[in-house]
Formats: sequence, C-alpha cells, structure tokens
Amino acid sequence: MNLASTSTLVNGRSVTIIGDGATTLLDFLRDSLGLRGTKEGCSEGECGACTVLVDGWPVDSCLYPALAAEGRKIETIEGMDEGSDLSPVQEALVATGGIQCGFCTPGFVMTLTALLRKQPNPNRNEIVSALAGNLCRCTGYSQIVEAAVSLSGVGEES
Amino acid sequence: MTLIGTSMVRTDAVEKVSGQSVYGVDVEMPGMLHGCLLRSPVPAGTIKRLDTTTALEMQGVHAICTSADQPDTRAGWILCEQRLFATECVRYEGEPIAVVVADSREQARAAVDAIDLQIEEEPGLDLVTAMADDPATPLVHPEWETYQPAAGPETDHPRHRNVAAQMSSEPDGVDAIFEQAELVVEDELISNRQYQAYIEPKSAVAVFAGGRYTIHTAVQFPFNVRDRVAQFLGVRPSSVRVVGHTIGGGFGGKLDAALEPITAFMAERTGRPVRIANNRTEDLLTCPSRENAVIKIRTALDNNDKMVARELFCDMDNGAYSAESIWLASLPLHIAKGVYQVGPTRVISRLHYTNTAPTGAFRGVGGTYLYAAVERHMDSIADSLGIDRRQYRLDNLLGDGDTLLNGQVLNDASTLEKAFKRLDKILPWDKTNGSKGPYQGIGLGGCIWLTNPMPGQATVKVNEDGTITVITSANDNGSGAVAMGITQIVAEEFGVGPGEVHITSPDTDVTGFDAGSQGSRTTHIVGRAALDASLKAKEQLFEVAAGMLEASPADMDIVDGEIGVVGVPGSRISLAEVAAAATWTIGPIVAAASYTTPAIDFNPACASGLLFPTMPTLTYHAHMAVVEIDPITGQIEVQRYAVVQDVGRVINPTGVRGQIQGAVAQGIGHTLYESLQIKDCRYLERTLENYRLPLAVDIPTVEFIALEIPDSEGPYGAKGVAEPPIALVSAVLANAVSDATGVPVTKIPITPEDVLEAIGG
Amino acid sequence: MPLSHREISPIETKVNGRQNVLEKRGKQVEFRRSGDLEEALTSLAELGDKAQVLAGGTDVMIQLERGEIFPETLVHIERVEGMRDIAENGRLTLGALATHIDLAQSPVLCDRYKSVAHAASLIGGWQTQAVGTIGGNVCNASPAADLLPPLLVHGTNVLLVSKDRGEREVSLADFVVGRRTIAREPDELVTGFSLDLSDGRTADVYKKVGRRGAMEVAIVGLAIRLSVDQAGTINDARIAVCSVAPVPFRAQAAEQALLGTKANGKETGSAAALLLEQVEPIDDVRATANYRRMVLPRIFESAVADCYLLAAKDLS
Repeated sequence: MNLASTSTLVNGRSVTIIGDGATTLLDFLRDSLGLRGTKEGCSEGECGACTVLVDGWPVDSCLYPALAAEGRKIETIEGMDEGSDLSPVQEALVATGGIQCGFCTPGFVMTLTALLRKQPNPNRNEIVSALAGNLCRCTGYSQIVEAAVSLSGVGEES
Repeated sequence: MTLIGTSMVRTDAVEKVSGQSVYGVDVEMPGMLHGCLLRSPVPAGTIKRLDTTTALEMQGVHAICTSADQPDTRAGWILCEQRLFATECVRYEGEPIAVVVADSREQARAAVDAIDLQIEEEPGLDLVTAMADDPATPLVHPEWETYQPAAGPETDHPRHRNVAAQMSSEPDGVDAIFEQAELVVEDELISNRQYQAYIEPKSAVAVFAGGRYTIHTAVQFPFNVRDRVAQFLGVRPSSVRVVGHTIGGGFGGKLDAALEPITAFMAERTGRPVRIANNRTEDLLTCPSRENAVIKIRTALDNNDKMVARELFCDMDNGAYSAESIWLASLPLHIAKGVYQVGPTRVISRLHYTNTAPTGAFRGVGGTYLYAAVERHMDSIADSLGIDRRQYRLDNLLGDGDTLLNGQVLNDASTLEKAFKRLDKILPWDKTNGSKGPYQGIGLGGCIWLTNPMPGQATVKVNEDGTITVITSANDNGSGAVAMGITQIVAEEFGVGPGEVHITSPDTDVTGFDAGSQGSRTTHIVGRAALDASLKAKEQLFEVAAGMLEASPADMDIVDGEIGVVGVPGSRISLAEVAAAATWTIGPIVAAASYTTPAIDFNPACASGLLFPTMPTLTYHAHMAVVEIDPITGQIEVQRYAVVQDVGRVINPTGVRGQIQGAVAQGIGHTLYESLQIKDCRYLERTLENYRLPLAVDIPTVEFIALEIPDSEGPYGAKGVAEPPIALVSAVLANAVSDATGVPVTKIPITPEDVLEAIGG
Repeated sequence: MPLSHREISPIETKVNGRQNVLEKRGKQVEFRRSGDLEEALTSLAELGDKAQVLAGGTDVMIQLERGEIFPETLVHIERVEGMRDIAENGRLTLGALATHIDLAQSPVLCDRYKSVAHAASLIGGWQTQAVGTIGGNVCNASPAADLLPPLLVHGTNVLLVSKDRGEREVSLADFVVGRRTIAREPDELVTGFSLDLSDGRTADVYKKVGRRGAMEVAIVGLAIRLSVDQAGTINDARIAVCSVAPVPFRAQAAEQALLGTKANGKETGSAAALLLEQVEPIDDVRATANYRRMVLPRIFESAVADCYLLAAKDLS
C-alpha cells in the first residue's frame, strides 16, 4: 500500500491529501475535493487549463504531485471570487468578451491573477509572455489580453 | 432602449468565469463506472487474436466487450458503414476494438493492457495511392456495395470501390474553350489536415433504465448523436435520450457521435452508469479532423484577360469511414469560381477511403483549401497577365444577377464590391503594397459562404413571475449564439432585461428537432424560431391583458416588461401579472415555432452526385493580410489582418468580434503552425506538444468591419457569422507569403522551411 | 523514420502480447519526501534504480503517466535546503533546484551569463518555469534541452553526491552521454553545477529556433560565448548546439575557426560551414534535417554577430 497523506490549504481551508506518488494535484482537486472548476485539457502541461496557484505561483496541476503540496497554499478558481462578487480579473474577462466556451477560462483567471499580484502594471508584451502557457482555441486571445490590459496601470502602451 | 446591437454580457459569463459550468467531462453519477477503449495500434490489418480472459480477471473489472458482443448493425450519418467495434479487421489507427469497464479509470486502463491482441498488419492505403484509383488497389471496404444509405436506398449517391463519393459537373464546351485560349494558367495546392483541438476532450456518460438510454454529453448536434446511437444499438431513436451540457469547444468535431454508442452499450451491459473519456492523444488520433486534399485548377484566358473556362479537380481524404464528408464532397462546385466571373467550369470532386482516421467537419470545412486554391490561382493569373492583383479581382467580381455554377442567382453580389472597397479603407492596398519592406508581403481575397438552413425549434413560455423560458436544443459550442443571440432577441421582444430570459440545455426528449451548432445557423434559424414563438406568446398575453384592461388585443403593446394600450401611459400591467392571470383562464402562456430556410432555386442538372445543392442565406467577405518573413529562420509573422464581413445585422458587437478573431486565429493556426502529417497512414503529431496551437504571442488583433445589410428572413436581419471568417485565412496568407518570397505557395501549412527554400536555401 | 519513444501514443498496445508496463502500471508509486540532503541520499542509497528523483515534476510526471518510467518510489527533493543558490566564488555555482524563473531573473546571470538566463526564460511557459529546475532539465537530458548549450559554453561541471562515496565532479560533456542518458549512479544526487567565471570582455548569447513564439521544443538551439582582447580579436570562442545530434555538444572546429578573428562575414561563414559538418540532424515531428541544415548557419551568423558586438562593446 503506497498511499500517503499530508495536509495543505486549499482556498483557505485545511484539507488532507491522500494519494500515491502518481496522484496529481488535478486529480485530487477534482475527484477527491469535488472542485471541478480546474480542468484537464491535455495532461502534459501544454494547455494550462489545469492552472492553479501554489504559494501564488501558477502551476500546471496535471503535472504537480498532490503530495508535494504539503504545507503549501493552493488556490483554485473556486477561491477567486470575493464573497458574492467576482474578482477584478474575472470582471474584466466578462466585460471584454474574453470568454467563449469557457473551458480555458479558469486557467487564464489563475495565471492573470498571479501576474497582477506580482506585477500590477504589466505592459502588453509582459501580459502575452505570461500567458504563453495558456491555450485558448475559441477567442483568438485579443479580448483576453484586453481584459488584462484594462487592469494594468500601464494601459495600452507596449 | 434596444438590446439589439449592444455588447450585452453573455448570460453564461459569470458561471464560466467562476468555474461553475458543468461541461461534458464534469458530469458525474452515483455508482458510475469507468470505461477505457482498446484501440487499434496499426492503421490496417486483420485481427488474429483477441483474448480478454486475463483482463476479465483483473481487479475492478466489471465487463469487457468486443465485436463478438455487438448488435448486428451498421451506422453512419449518410452511409451506414460502421460497426460498433472493429470486426475482423482494423481500418485506422485508434479504431475501437474492445472496451473495458471497471471501478476506476486506472483499473480499466490496466485491464486494456492485459487484453491479448494480435493483428497481422497490412499496408494501409493513403490518399496518394487512392487517387490513382488503380483497379489493383485493395479496398478499404471490400463490402462497400452492401452499405445502405441512412436515409433509404433511393438516396444513394455516386460511389465506387475506394471512392466514397463523387460529384461531377461537366458543362458543355469547356474543352473547346481551352483549345482556343489565349493563355492557360495552371496551379495546384495540397492542404493538410487540421485537428479541431477544442480544449475539452470528448467524453460521455450513459445510463440505461426502463429500456431507454440516457446519455450526458457535450455535443454540438444532440439529435444527430441520438440517431447515431440508435443506429449502432439497433433501437428506435426515441429509445435514446441525449442531454446536453456546456461544451468546451467543438468547431465541427463534436457534431457526430464518438464515445456515446459504446458508452450506452456498456451502460446496458453492466446495469450501471458508465463514463468513457478520451485522453488528449486518443482524441487527437480519432477526431474527425478537417480532411487533407489535393486541388488542381486551370483556367483559360482570352485576349481580353477574361477567365473564359475553368477546370477544378479536388481529391479529398475521407479516412476510413464517411460520416458527413459525403455531403462535403459537393462543396467544390460552389467555390470553383470563387467570387469571380468565370466561364463554363468543369468540377470533379472525389472523396477517397483511406486507412486513416475518418475526417469530418471543422469550421469552414473544405472552404479553407478551396478558397486557398482559387485565390492563389487568381494571384497567379494576375501575375501572368501583369495586372495588379487587387485590380484584376475588382475587374472580374461577381455582381447582382450573376449565378453560381449550380444556377443559383446572386441578387446581392454587389456586396462583394462594397466589401473590397471598405476593406481598402482599413488597409489601403496601393499604399501598403507600394511601401512594403523587402521581407513583407500583402495578400487579398474574397469569398461567399452559407448559413446552414436546417431546421430549428423553440418553445417560449412566460412564467408566472414574468420571466421567460426558451425551451430548445439549440446550443452554442462557445460562440454565444444562445447566451447572447437568442437571449437578446427574446429579451428584446418582451422588453425585459437579459437576466429575465432563461434558455434550457439541450434535451432530445423535451424539445423539437434542432440541427445543431454548425454552419453559423443558430442565431439565424433558432433566433428566428424564438422570435416567431415570442410573437405568438405575445398574442396570448395581449388576449389576456385585453380582458384585464377591457381593451382590444390589437391596441396593446409591451414596453419595458409592461403591457398596456398603445399611447396610454397609465394602467399598464406587468408581464408577471398577465402570465399569472393567464394560467387560470386560457392556460399558461406557451408558444412554439420552428424555422428552416426556404429552398433556393438552382439547376438540378448542373452536376451528378450533388448532395449539398445550394448556398442558402449567403454572406460576402473580403480579407487582406500583411506578413513579414524572417530571413534567418523563415518564420512568418502576421503583422496585420483585416476583415470586412457582411453579417446582416450585428446582434452583439463583442460576440461578433470574438467570432471573427477566433476564426482568423484558427486559420492562422492551420496555415502557419499546426500540422497533422501522415506517414504510413499514421499521424506524426500526437500530443499538444507537437500539435502546435497558436499562442497569444502568435496572433495579431484582427481589424474588423461589419457590413449590415439586413437579411429579409433573419431575426432583426441577422445572418450567419461565426463559420466563414476562417474560410479565407489560408488563401490570404498564402498570397501574402508568395508575395513576400516571390515564390508561389503550393501547400498548406506553409513552413519556415518552405520560406527558406523560396528565398534561396 | 523512427519515432522517438515519447512520441508513441500512450494508447498503443504491442500487437503480440502485453507491454511490460502492465506489471508496473497497476501498482501505486510511493512518494517519499526528503526534508534535507541527508534524507534524500539515504533514500537513494537504499533504493537505487527503483527510485526516481523528483523536483518540479514537469518531465517526470508526464513520463510516469505514460508508463515511460516505472519507479517504485518518487524521492521528492524539492524542499531540500541549500540547493537553490546562485553564487560566484572561484566559479559560478548554480544549485540544482534553481528554477527556470530563478535563473531567468538572477541579476548575476542577466549581467554576465545571459545565455543561461535567456535559455531558462524560453523553457515552456510560466507554469513550467515556476517549478521546473536546472537539475531536472539537465538530468532529463533531452537532445533539445535548452539549458545544455549555454551550460556547455560555460565549461560547466556537474556536482554529485552520494551517501557512500561523498562528492564527485564531472564535466557536463561527460555527464550527458546519450539521448536521455546521464552518467549518474543510482545512489547519486545532482546537487548543482559550476561554471567558468565570465569577465568583462566576454559575452554569451542563446538563440532558439522554434515555430510559435513560445512553448517550443527547440528545433535548433545555439549558444555562443566569445571573449575578445583589447584589440577586439576573439581570444576565446565556445559554440554549443542542441537538437542537431543525439546529444548537445561543443563544436570545436567552428570554435577554432573564430579564434584570432574579429568575426567578419567571411570568417563567420567559414566557421558556420565547419559547424554544419559536425552536426547530424534528423527528420522528426518538429522539423526536417533539411530545415535544420538551412537554418543553423543563418542563426549561427546572427548569433556570432550579436555576441561579438556585446563582447566588444566596451572597446573603442
């Protein structure tokens, strides 16, 4: 029996992770915690649909071992809204039309949230560079980038 | 204050941005088991051994099924060719041979590995070999003559041996005109496959109870999936219920059944809910991708530089089974002239079986490579004649009253000229062409496209609290046709806010037929049906309100959610009051309507095998692009991309813009970054690491202008928007790159290697 | 045309009987966390080749999921202290657990070891860079590993430790011995790397050829390190390439051809031709050998020009 357990914080709540070495954080979040907002798109760290924040850093949860999260602070899309309101990143995406099928959207929210926390005024190039690990097949990206630009103090300069 | 034409926030935006939407992959049922497929590892061969004994004994396994267990049926969208499992032989890499259902996904996968499978591999047939149509070539389907058309034997179409469908149009006089031509220009284009690569892989959850199958799935065409499952399982369609969920992208790849038939079969076998989901590699290998094709085109020119005759030959790769591709083989007839005046045109289109994954519909279908071929050919002709490429197009554009090759009259083709001229305001051709740098190129093109005419249905009910529910199986695979289009139209009719309109999810038990999220039809067709149903519901409301206000129904209107007599500001009553009152008098306010585009006149003698005869509710388009090549690496940067599109009426500017931007991005992906190379009938690209979807850094912001010329039948004049912007992207980029390098592009995708070879390897 | 092992579909089943992966896949994998270096070394000494070292996991977790590796235990070293530092004393040392972001943003690397910082910034996207490590990138030893050419041009040594034999240092060139093959004993842990110090008239660049603007596995990767004397003549030239052979390597003939020159067009062209003779590119899913041969001399000339300008920038 190779199951181990450890504890971590997920969206501010203490949880116990039970899994083996091959259990990914993505599987744990979706199957054990029922947090279905984080999506599986490729299982190889290419599409970013599974992006969560680990101690504030964007990470592909499909490649992150669940047990490695011991003592870390995990944030998922379910933890992004602020009470009954959406976060500024979420509001901006809604406003610019950067959401079509929405399957990639949670991943983009997480990456953009991390970016703006670390760098409140990114220019367009910095935004686009930070989004390299998030694929969208529907929108062609422009409206997503515009959402981020609208939140940046720098605005449209690049 | 009208909602039409406003960038109203889509009604599903909050749930999507909060991660609350339930997609097909998110569906869970208590007691659900997990299935995993044993898929053929080779493209062609005979199954010599298939022994599940060991696998059956493994931990967690509930059931394993193979062709030995399947019903004696054949299924198919147009031609019934396919059995539930590969039977005796395999025809493509990835074809399902067996299924294991177990307590967990991991246990099912482990048991799949334990199945003793031996296949005697045979050489597979690819497109190049199939095109030669040699009588000695082995048949992908030795039993092809026994296959029955799904709609009955009288609907059979021209097909023979490895040619799954053939469409031929051979008007008189073509050869004679070629003989007399002043100049003949000839071109060829090869186009590779493109994988839809929606971010949500396919899945299905099925339950069998009371003799009926209920399937939860995220598909673009629930009624089609219902019918396919029924065919495979040998039951009536009404024994199958498809319940739709939020779709994580489809783009045509989710129009047909995929995992649903086997999932439903195993739900019955095990007596438990069963879930099967593709991993990304399975999904890529087996998705009905845009087909690869070879197009040869030649045009005869007279001494006035006019295109007096043409020949276009199109060979398309069907893959191992046909699905919708049989209809799509007719498309070349409608595109062979492009948007230009050309004399008699011979078009022969053949769809070939090969030992590769079945191909199917991906936004724009064959339009992407057909327009690429035709528009490359236009540049080629203009260059041969020494005429400016834009001017030559303008001099030969279709105009009002001109016809397509099927005899369909275009009453409004002058929109094309408007589009080209409007385009020039965004990206001035002469100025840009005249000032381009040594590594820049500019390309141009125009197209027509259809709005899919197939039927849709909506039931509108006004609830006792004054909100409106629209019951329909219409869905959008992200476009917003439902969360914006239909919502705005209905809200507008009742004078309520969009938050007061709720649209149900698809359910084939509950709603009338809907032809699915395809061909940009949903806002136009179902928006119209919902509008007509709303008008009927309003009549009922007026009847009741008239009684309450002691007025005549003919004098009533609804303004801002209140009903009253026109011109009498006082004594208006709320929708809620009227709806509630109605329930106890004439009955609840419920009205239904359906709509399908009326048939269009055409010449049925124009071709044989023309299964897709006309282009209904046409839209007109013009695109222009500026590219720059990198002389060191050969990479191509799309610096500017401009679109002018005739949309009828913009219901939601943000939504329309999103469709244009997204379609162009997919077109850029197909042309410059993605590739599905086939070698020995297997794909070389198998994961998202090597199937390269474009990133934010790769896609420019599209400069877009909508032309609003209202359609007489569409709701508020709206026509289809979402599909066509992709159809010109390969064409225009190929023209721009050819201009930049000075060497004609003859294949899609265009690689950096092609560019370096062109500029002197 | 051979497909690389990683490109074989995970759904594929051998046609005659089962894969040996079967025996392993059903079993669970132990996750053993190491609080410090000693714990990690003890685990490795105990388990040997039944263990897989795990840091960020961006390569290991994919290989595990696909059944390309089947360890009994993942020895998790991400929390081991003291393995993430970047410091200069005698040599430049990089801790094996330095993440790609650590490298990309390191002031000393951005100042005088630009090729290392730049290469790190091109590995995957932000998600990969946040947890991926230099140790992982080197030990995965992909023929396309972006960090290998920059490390090679800086004369890198690999630092290893084992419980039983203590520390060992080996040149990177002798460490990466084949495609995805490294000379690490099963009980050894790579703890860091040491690089030749870089002085005022030395500059280095890394150029990566891909298809998209990011997230690419290198089609060709090229690192150049040049030093010039007071007259602007090249007195040290180092060239390393990846994705054009099974193992990234230093192109010595081309290096010799640049020595004593000022990298004018003709001289650089000669060096490019020598470089081309040394490479053995193949056709793979990302590009053809033909393309690699076409682009390599072009990117080389561009890289040498850029690097020379940087190295000579303080000269009049």
